[in-house]
Amino acid sequence: MSRADSRSLARNCAVLGMTKSDATVGAWRAYALVGPALAVIAVFFVLPLAMSAVLAFRGKTGEFTLEHFDKSWDLYRTDLMFTIGIVLLSTVLIGVVAIVIAGYLTLGENPRAVAVLRWLYRWPLFIPFIVTGQVMRTFLAKNGMLNHVLIGAGWVEPLAAQSVLDWRGIVVAFVWKQAPFVTLLLAGAMASLETQHIEAARNLGAPRWRVLIDVILPQVRGTLLVGLVLSFVTMLSVLSVPLMINPNSPTMMTVDVAYRINTHGDYAVANALCLMSLVVAGFGAWFYLRHSARSFSQ
Amino acid sequence: MTPYLSIESLNVGYGNTRVLNEVSLDVARGELVALLGSSGCGKTTLLRSIAGFVTPESGAIKVDGRDIARLPPEKRGTAMMFQSYALWPHMSVEDNIGYGLKMRSWKKDAIAKRVGEMLTLLQLVGFGPRSVMQLSGGQRQRVALGRALAVDPQLLLLDEPMSNLDYKVRIELRHELRALQRRIGITAVYVTHDREEALTLADRIAVIDAGRVVQYGPPEEIFHRPTSAFVAGFMGADNAIDVMRLPNGSLTADQVGGEKLRAHFRSDVAWITTERSASGDDDLRLAGTVTQAIYVGQGYRYRVRTNGADIWANAEERMPEGAVVSVVVPRAALLVFSAATSTRH
Repeated sequence: MSRADSRSLARNCAVLGMTKSDATVGAWRAYALVGPALAVIAVFFVLPLAMSAVLAFRGKTGEFTLEHFDKSWDLYRTDLMFTIGIVLLSTVLIGVVAIVIAGYLTLGENPRAVAVLRWLYRWPLFIPFIVTGQVMRTFLAKNGMLNHVLIGAGWVEPLAAQSVLDWRGIVVAFVWKQAPFVTLLLAGAMASLETQHIEAARNLGAPRWRVLIDVILPQVRGTLLVGLVLSFVTMLSVLSVPLMINPNSPTMMTVDVAYRINTHGDYAVANALCLMSLVVAGFGAWFYLRHSARSFSQ
Repeated sequence: MTPYLSIESLNVGYGNTRVLNEVSLDVARGELVALLGSSGCGKTTLLRSIAGFVTPESGAIKVDGRDIARLPPEKRGTAMMFQSYALWPHMSVEDNIGYGLKMRSWKKDAIAKRVGEMLTLLQLVGFGPRSVMQLSGGQRQRVALGRALAVDPQLLLLDEPMSNLDYKVRIELRHELRALQRRIGITAVYVTHDREEALTLADRIAVIDAGRVVQYGPPEEIFHRPTSAFVAGFMGADNAIDVMRLPNGSLTADQVGGEKLRAHFRSDVAWITTERSASGDDDLRLAGTVTQAIYVGQGYRYRVRTNGADIWANAEERMPEGAVVSVVVPRAALLVFSAATSTRH
């Protein structure tokens, strides 16, 4: 406790009619209360993370080394780029889909269509990633439902039908699974806007899509950003979808991590790969924190 | 004179609730009409129907002969000023004012020029680049007005625009708004529940009760010649007593034989006296006891318990509670309605 702290504590004690030792006991009681929670975080969260980070830099004899990173970079840099590309593209598409759906939920004038959409869009939220992967396999395969529909409609020749089970499949699965989450956040934020803000814009001649872009989106930008950052980080960590849709090279980092551990028992490279993922996710976190700091200062 | 805005047999309902019932109203070009009524009477719904935010079940809303009742709000050419002002917090003052012009595909410099004119008109010069969040209530109100006026609308719709302001600012802006509306000659419909505001601002007042226009006319007429007990009460003649008309035509509060009527009067036309006589023969005299005295600045306001009802009357001098007095109301100041139908007698 610094001298200033102890002085202010003494002053507060005087105000409350307590002795200084009463207050110290109170402070320790507070620590004791928060202790178990802190311990859980430290033991089950901070410690494994720190261990994994440390092991990524430790050689066979325990010396400091960058060897695992070199190896990871040599073997998996395409996958790293592939991962970043997929996740970024998915994030952008999720944003677009979420804006369109939430926008319609807010501005739609057909109450029945709005009700149906509101009921439907949340379904993927309750479906696990692995099931999403499975659904997309049957949907996007060469003789899957998508091609059946396209051929049936006469848009694609039967011989020209191709499987979409590559990077496109992963993107479709991610967007399908994550867009409802962002939509949920976004539609909530839009619903809490003052209706008169929307009416004022329409009254001055703005068609609905302009109202969405000019009036609604700038006011819910923060929520959209939060939703997208959280989705970005979630998608970085999903193993099942790339494993089911596109396990061959190039694939996503999560598949590589699983492979290093399950096939080679190579925890060191797996740790290095994880740390690289963490750095990418860290960018998302930085973006998020920067934004929350800005909105806090406003 | 052909009306500029013409509302014909408008019916609006939400579910099973009827909000507007066969409302018809004509507004001349350049006129400011106030829709006056208590909350929930349907006045805001009428305004929102004109703006296009409420779809009527039946009826027509014509502006300059064109029926706009089924058009979306953005195609109506009206500009509305909202009770909350609804200024967009993420835009500056000039962006707010210029938004309607942007929607009309004006060029940037033309928008800047027009926004400049609006800022001058509304005494907001220098405020253009500021955020609307930094403005006071009165300034926000002006920006909202500027945003509505900038597009040179066919119709200006105002939804209780003064209700969030301090009394003093409200009085000031009321006069400014009136002068401005006269100067630019815009046709305006103004929703308010404040009778003083309606009286000072409007060319004509439509008093609305339970989804119907119960009286429509110039302020003087509404104030002095209300056609129903409701309008009389709403316009401040809230003292109401049962009276009898004697065969000779004079009125008395005594329950003697005669035609039963209901008389309304304002508290400021009545005076209180402790003397027994000294008033014109025609005047209505009500005997009673003072039960409450309130100092109101220019004098006192008394609640007097009479035989029929409690009435409020003003007097300059102070009287103790419990004093036995007579309230005298000049015959000419009495608004007399049929007791059965509440219509003017």
